Formats: sequence, C-alpha cells, structure tokens
Amino acid sequence: MGNVEFEKIKRPENIKLPYMLDFYPLEDEKNTQVSQFFTNLKKGRLTTTKCKECNKSLWPPRIVCPHCLSDKLEWIDLGTEGELYAFTETRLGAPLGFVEDAPFCIGMIRIGGLLISARVDGAKYDDLQIGEKVGLKIVELEDGRVFYRFRKIG
Amino acid sequence: MFDNVDNVSPKDVEALLVGAAQPERFAFQVHVAPMVAEHLGITPRKVIATTELMCASGQAAIRYAWTCVASGLADVAAAVGVEKMYMPNMAEAQTNMTCVLDREWDGVNAMSAPPFFAMTAQRHMHEFGTTKEQMALVSVKNHHYSTMNPLAQFQKEVTMERALQSPMVSPPLNLFDCSGITDGAAGVLLVPAEDAKKYTDTPMHIIGSGQANIGNAINNLASITEWVPLKMAYKEALRTAKISADEIDIAELHDCFTISELMEYEALDFCKKGHGGKFIENGEPYIGGKIAVNPRGGLLGCGHPLGATAILQTIDVLQQFRGEVPEGRHVKGAEKAITHNLSGAANVHSLMVYARR
Ligand SMILES: [Zn+2]
Repeated sequence: MGNVEFEKIKRPENIKLPYMLDFYPLEDEKNTQVSQFFTNLKKGRLTTTKCKECNKSLWPPRIVCPHCLSDKLEWIDLGTEGELYAFTETRLGAPLGFVEDAPFCIGMIRIGGLLISARVDGAKYDDLQIGEKVGLKIVELEDGRVFYRFRKIG
Repeated sequence: MFDNVDNVSPKDVEALLVGAAQPERFAFQVHVAPMVAEHLGITPRKVIATTELMCASGQAAIRYAWTCVASGLADVAAAVGVEKMYMPNMAEAQTNMTCVLDREWDGVNAMSAPPFFAMTAQRHMHEFGTTKEQMALVSVKNHHYSTMNPLAQFQKEVTMERALQSPMVSPPLNLFDCSGITDGAAGVLLVPAEDAKKYTDTPMHIIGSGQANIGNAINNLASITEWVPLKMAYKEALRTAKISADEIDIAELHDCFTISELMEYEALDFCKKGHGGKFIENGEPYIGGKIAVNPRGGLLGCGHPLGATAILQTIDVLQQFRGEVPEGRHVKGAEKAITHNLSGAANVHSLMVYARR
C-alpha cells in the first residue's frame, strides 16, 4: 500500500446550536406574523388571537380564522391560571437539548377555554393531580427570546 | 419483492412510491425514492415519489401506488417502505419525534411520542378505570405472537411481571408499553386485479379503504380519549369494501403504545367505549377470540420502522391468507383483514381493507 496516504482530519469540537435543533420559535416580526404573542408574553401576558367575525378563540395564535377564514382577529388575554387536564414526566428518552432537564413534567392545561401543552415546573409526577390549578411561568432564553411554562401553585 | 413473484422484473415497475417518515433527520438523506429505485434496479417511467405521513408513511405509499394502478396510470406499481432509525446518540432520535406534533407550540415542550401517549393513557385510566395491567396485556399478547415471526425485532415472550417492572419511560408508560426504535424496509407490488393471475396464483385484493384527519395541535384534536378520525375512517373503509364489521377476521392495528390498541378496540366497535381493557382481559383480541388483533406481533413485538411498518403489516396479511405463517399465529380460514396506522397526535387514521378473493 505504498501509494496510499493516511491523514487524520479535525472537525470543530463545538458548534453553535443549529436552528434544526432549536425547539423555540423565532419571535421577531421578520420571522413570524404572531410576534405580538411574544411581545405580550414578555410583559407577563399569555394571549392568543380571537376571531371578530365568529367569536372563536384560536390556539395556536393565527392570522386567519380556520373556522370562517376571516382575517379580522384581535388579541385577547387567557389569564395566568390554568387547570391541569393531563400530565406526565419525561424520565427516559428526553430529546437532545432537554436531556439535562430530565426528569421533568409536561402537561395539557385548560386555560381560557383552550387546551395548551406546556412544561410544568416545581413538581414531580407524584406531586401532581388531574384538575389542580397551575400558574403561568415565563422562561427567558440566553438570546432574549421567551416562552411560557406552568408551575405548581397548590 | 421480486424473488417470490413470477413474470415480473424491476424494469416492469412503472410507478414507485417510497414511504419514509424522516430520512432527512434519521439518516441525513432526502430524495430517497431514487435511491430505492437505484438499489432495486427499478427505472420508473410513470410516477416516482417519496410519501411522508409520519407513522403511516408506508400506508401512504400503498394508497398512492393503488391509485396509480386503479386509475390506469401504471400497470405495475411498487410500494416500498424504509426507515433507518438507529442513531449513535439516541437522544437525537427522540428529538426527531418532537417535530411530529406542532413543533413551535407542542414539540417545544419536549412533547415527543411517549409523553403524548402517556397523557392519553392517563386520561383513559382516569375516565374509564383502565389499569396498568390491562395495558400490559397488550404487550404480553403482541410479544407472544412476535416470538413466531422471524422478521420481528423482539423474539422473546414478555410476562406481565416483566412488562410492569420494566423501566418507567413516561408514567404511566413503562418501556414495554412502547414500541421499539427500529431499522427496517419492505416492499409490495400492486397490479390491476385482472392482471394478478399473471404473476401469482394467490394474490390479495384491496377492497376498500378509509382515511380521516381532524386537527393537528393538541388544542384542535377532536378528543384526547376518543379517536374520532378512526371512527370516520373505519365507517368509510367498511362502506367502500361493502362488508360488515363481523366479516373481518384479522385486524393489524397500530399499537405504537399499549394504550393505542385498547383505544382502537373501542373506536372500531370491537367493544363498548371504555371497555378496551376488559376486552383483552377476556381474551377477545387473541386468535380464537372475537377477532385476531396483531397476530403478526404488532409494532410492540416487531418494532416500528416508521415508513416500513404498514408494508410489513400488509405482507403479513398476505402470508396469513396464503397460510405461510407459523401454526401458532395462523388465523385459519381468514378471508378479510384490515390494516391500520395512526400518525401524529392520533389526529390522522389510515385504514386498508384486504380480501383473499
Ligand atoms: Zn372566525
């Protein structure tokens, strides 16, 4: 094998989290037409769009009503307290980016007539019960983006 | 695919549909239909495409291959399913399952498949008194049948004790409540019914189908504990097949999680709403019971290579009709079968109806 060259090559050891592994939505006006949601969230308000034509509250926030196709929507507050409809705890099989958080609770929360999924902080699985009240919590990422969670308050 | 079919070669395949759910994330490869064509020596000249419908991607391939043949567009169509799911870092595979639901509003909360179906199970237990033991029975049954399936990922019996004591993934779901992450590939050929005898003495016929979807994000599902789109798809499948429910001998159902199969008994009216657990306690979904459910071994026993799963279900039904499966899991005299796949947050349900004649 006299003519064959062997060489060790290097690849970067650390790469900035690629967009394809970033779970959190891009929040600014350049990237989404519901950036108002995140502006409101930064002020502690969980909001969504409601259709002025057919009066339905929409989730996730929309720019066109899927019920009547009207684009006359307004922002409404959902409140800061919800009710736990269902919950579980990720113990095994956490996705990349959340492995360090495990175990952590995830729930479906009834709030403002909607059913919203969210992380539920401040409790282990055995501490929670279906139907209990949970409070709004807002988390901020290193780059200033925000997202909502809920927390045990009872 | 070609070895056991007479008078057909790869060059005869005019349409190729490849079911693959997430090759771009699991194997860093898109445009997989031409790769499959290249591997198999197929040179499609009418239709070629990859079909994605997450866990039902393989059935999507069958449905489109069927429409190619039924419309007269192609005389020979191939439906192939592929998925390469094993990754060196399995947390990355779990990441891929979080962009199945609405990633920005549900997936962002680490909502991959196990948490979603765990909450489904929790609500079913809460509303109908379903128990952990009843869910485990599904795993015991399907692993029992998969011991007799050489293609199955899991070849050993699972006892009730072992199922209940397996590691907790996402309560109330233990490891044996969840189907495996699996590599797999499979293919079938579709031709017009009047041509079938050219290729085999024992073809299988598509006699009906149904498919329905309601909503996508969790807020917009019809219900968490009742799979309304499955009821709709089933009604349509029976209507198009012109058969009644009691004519079905085999049901290959999508048991991605144990709770799924219990809820499918209910949506398909094998039992009353909320009685899925009792139905299996009474032995009804076993061969010899009311209806044979997943005599292949299910996704729980065989593993769930997303794009390949529906094709593997279909091949097993064909082998059941031909009597080519081991005695212990053979549904003797079976004439009609359904195959079912759910996808996403169980918001899409897909059904095919097959007949021996
Ligand atoms: Zn409207």
